Amino acid sequence: MAAQMTNAHRRFLQVLMSNGITEASQARKLHQHCCEIDKVYYAHDKLDDFISTINSHLQPLFMQIRKGISEEDGRAHYAVVNLAETEVTKMASDYTETELELFRKTMDLIILSENGFASSTDILNLADQLKTKKMKKKEAEQVLKVFVEDKWLSEKNGEYTLHTRCIIEMEQYILSNYQDVARKCNICHSLAIQSQVCECCGIGMHLPCVRKYFRGQAEPRCPKCNEFWSCDLPGTSQMGSHTHHRAHSQA
Amino acid sequence: MSQRKRSKGLSSSQMTDGEEDCSPSQRDQPFQDQMNQKVSELVQFLLVKDQKKIPIRRADMLKTVGQKYKNYTEIVNRAGKTLQEVFGLQLMEIDTKLHTYILIDNLPRAEGEYLCKDKEKEKMGLLLVVLSFIFMKGNSVKDTALWEFLRLLRVHPGKPHKVFGDVRKLLMDEFARQKYLDVTPIPLTDPPEFKFQWGPRAEKETSKKDVLKFVAKIQGKDPTFWVSQNKEAEAEAAS
Amino acid sequence: MSQTSDSGESSPASRGRRSRSPRAQEDGGDTAGDRLRQLSINEGEDRDRDHNRMIRIQYRKLISTVQQNREAMLNSKSNKLTEALEEANRLFDGVSRAREAALDAQFLVLASSIGKEKANELQLEMSAFDSAAFAEDLLTFMGINRTEVEETDDPEDIPGGFLPSDAWQTVGQEALKYLRRAPTFHYMMGSFKSEPPVPKQRIERQKKASRGKAERAMPAQLKKMESSHQEATEKEVERVLRILQTHFENDPNTPISFFDLVIDPNSFAHTMENIFHVSFLIKDGLAKIKLDEDGLPIIEPTKPTRGGEEDNRTGARNQVIVTLDQKEWKEIIEIFQITEAMITPLSQTTEDEMETE
Repeated sequence: MAAQMTNAHRRFLQVLMSNGITEASQARKLHQHCCEIDKVYYAHDKLDDFISTINSHLQPLFMQIRKGISEEDGRAHYAVVNLAETEVTKMASDYTETELELFRKTMDLIILSENGFASSTDILNLADQLKTKKMKKKEAEQVLKVFVEDKWLSEKNGEYTLHTRCIIEMEQYILSNYQDVARKCNICHSLAIQSQVCECCGIGMHLPCVRKYFRGQAEPRCPKCNEFWSCDLPGTSQMGSHTHHRAHSQA
Repeated sequence: MSQRKRSKGLSSSQMTDGEEDCSPSQRDQPFQDQMNQKVSELVQFLLVKDQKKIPIRRADMLKTVGQKYKNYTEIVNRAGKTLQEVFGLQLMEIDTKLHTYILIDNLPRAEGEYLCKDKEKEKMGLLLVVLSFIFMKGNSVKDTALWEFLRLLRVHPGKPHKVFGDVRKLLMDEFARQKYLDVTPIPLTDPPEFKFQWGPRAEKETSKKDVLKFVAKIQGKDPTFWVSQNKEAEAEAAS
Repeated sequence: MSQTSDSGESSPASRGRRSRSPRAQEDGGDTAGDRLRQLSINEGEDRDRDHNRMIRIQYRKLISTVQQNREAMLNSKSNKLTEALEEANRLFDGVSRAREAALDAQFLVLASSIGKEKANELQLEMSAFDSAAFAEDLLTFMGINRTEVEETDDPEDIPGGFLPSDAWQTVGQEALKYLRRAPTFHYMMGSFKSEPPVPKQRIERQKKASRGKAERAMPAQLKKMESSHQEATEKEVERVLRILQTHFENDPNTPISFFDLVIDPNSFAHTMENIFHVSFLIKDGLAKIKLDEDGLPIIEPTKPTRGGEEDNRTGARNQVIVTLDQKEWKEIIEIFQITEAMITPLSQTTEDEMETE
């Protein structure tokens, strides 16, 4: 029998819902804040239990507070996500059908790309090929901006990738609908949108996972095939996800 | 719907053939499960519909539950309880004739929270300022008076505003449809003039007392400074 | 009409004119109606006409003045409404016909509407709400900088300070404390209305080369993926044939090395595809492979002939099986000094080569 919800739980859930995605240290502060306001027993290391209580009540509604790791900085984040696909969930009114179509095509580009990014040029070119309704480039630009504001996409140097919030919510959907293409990180086994890939055996790893795995190693070698890891390690020259894997020359 | 089995040992004399509303303990498990599912569906429905803050019609709720479903009242009640229990939200009827509902936040107010996106925050700021003006001016103002006041805040109905865009549309269309404001035309006026009053959503989401507190804070005075408004606010709070 | 006596206006008692008819005070016994009838019969018509016209003009002037100064009259400290009423009273004394009386009635409707509004405001009179002061205090709360004057071209804009861009957010943040607004739930999963086909093949990005020219290439490539595999293969086979034919036409006497044709020094995968497509051409008799003096395969397009059978047999006998692994591919590139692909990959194709979509 799950623990009872208190106002502290409800307040925590309300704030998380409004934020969309909350960074773990913020969530910890919020946990303390809610317990203080609503005079509920607080234990700083009991955040997971706290969240479990909420999740047990969200479960019948096919909602969940889910934890995920950012592909950018490796930090943990919490998001309130929807898990179901029903006639009711399709009534969501944040975006029009056309805007959603643009989003899906953008997602396609991102997932099918080598480095997990789609250039704004490529996305805008898709705009007037939409099936539901053609969209002008200017309109599409504006829609992309809203997707970034709402934290479904994130933008860097004119290129777009999926926001951590999106990955947390859509992971299962992506893994099942992009089965052959979507990569899983060899280290943490979660979906990897941005990744470094071994030219030799093809396994992929998140950049933060690469950083962690190769820390302190003199010669970075692929964990699977043991060949020399040819990509620039993140955090050495230029950190970031823009690393393309180089053409790998056989010795 | 599957046949409902009557459980043995019924002592209630109200149980006869064809009786629809039996008490939960006397229903069998599949029925319970179906009820639970309907309640969950309705809760999801209400959460989704509340995204745009337009009051939800009972007819639409009925459609989700399934029109043939006889236990509608119970389902709605349980959905309301779930919203309260899990989210701290209250399901409220704001129009007893049209049967429209809204969700409001039932948790005790606290400082330092971020419950809104920036864009929404700004709109709420404008809304509260308008509600304040209406109340302090006697609960009803003419559109000309309101525009004159808003001009002092660099908000003009005719000019697109940097933050709010088309302000006239925001006030007379969006806030009106959300039932924050009640905008009615004044008869026999040409060109048509309108009067602004609080809408039923505003009445539920805030109070005269709270609004007076806001005005008092902005002006650095005690709420009792405005004697008659204060009296009115206290009277409303007492009722 | 009014509810308090604290205003500048007079009480109803002194305005009991409705109970008085013109000149009835002086005459005493006559009713107003009798009096009016008598007047219109007895007085000289010309004098009446001018007089009545004057009255009408003055009434209209009074009504217009009151309408235009409505807001000023609403000011509680103003006596203007009383003055207007007194003026109307005076005019009414000269009214003798229904026509002018009607104007008087019109004025009264206007005056009583203002009077009602004033009374409404009088209720709050004890706790006057100064909206201008409220506005000023709001601007202060928003963080207005009054020392810096904002440059504005708008004559309507009231000068007097620079409002920061987060002004309304500041108000909003405070406003949320007084509103019990329910947070809303937003999601992406489950919001899609339909299931479109999802392309399953990874897009082989041709690195830097494609960036500049790929304006149209990417969506075109996506399109190719979505159409059926067979169609795509057929199209590509045709394209390869045309490339082969073009090169052969340019120089019919120099045979084309099979390797020169199929090898793409930039992509092993594409090389494999090329071999695959070329094999179709050979199978269908559209091209034939021969071995030259050095024993290396050369390829040329077949000329369309009537006597097909013979050629077919010939072609079948000359079929060559080509296997190539990545190591060999690299070796051939080096040995034959192949620097660019004859069969350009789709992503680098120019408009000319592409079949019309």
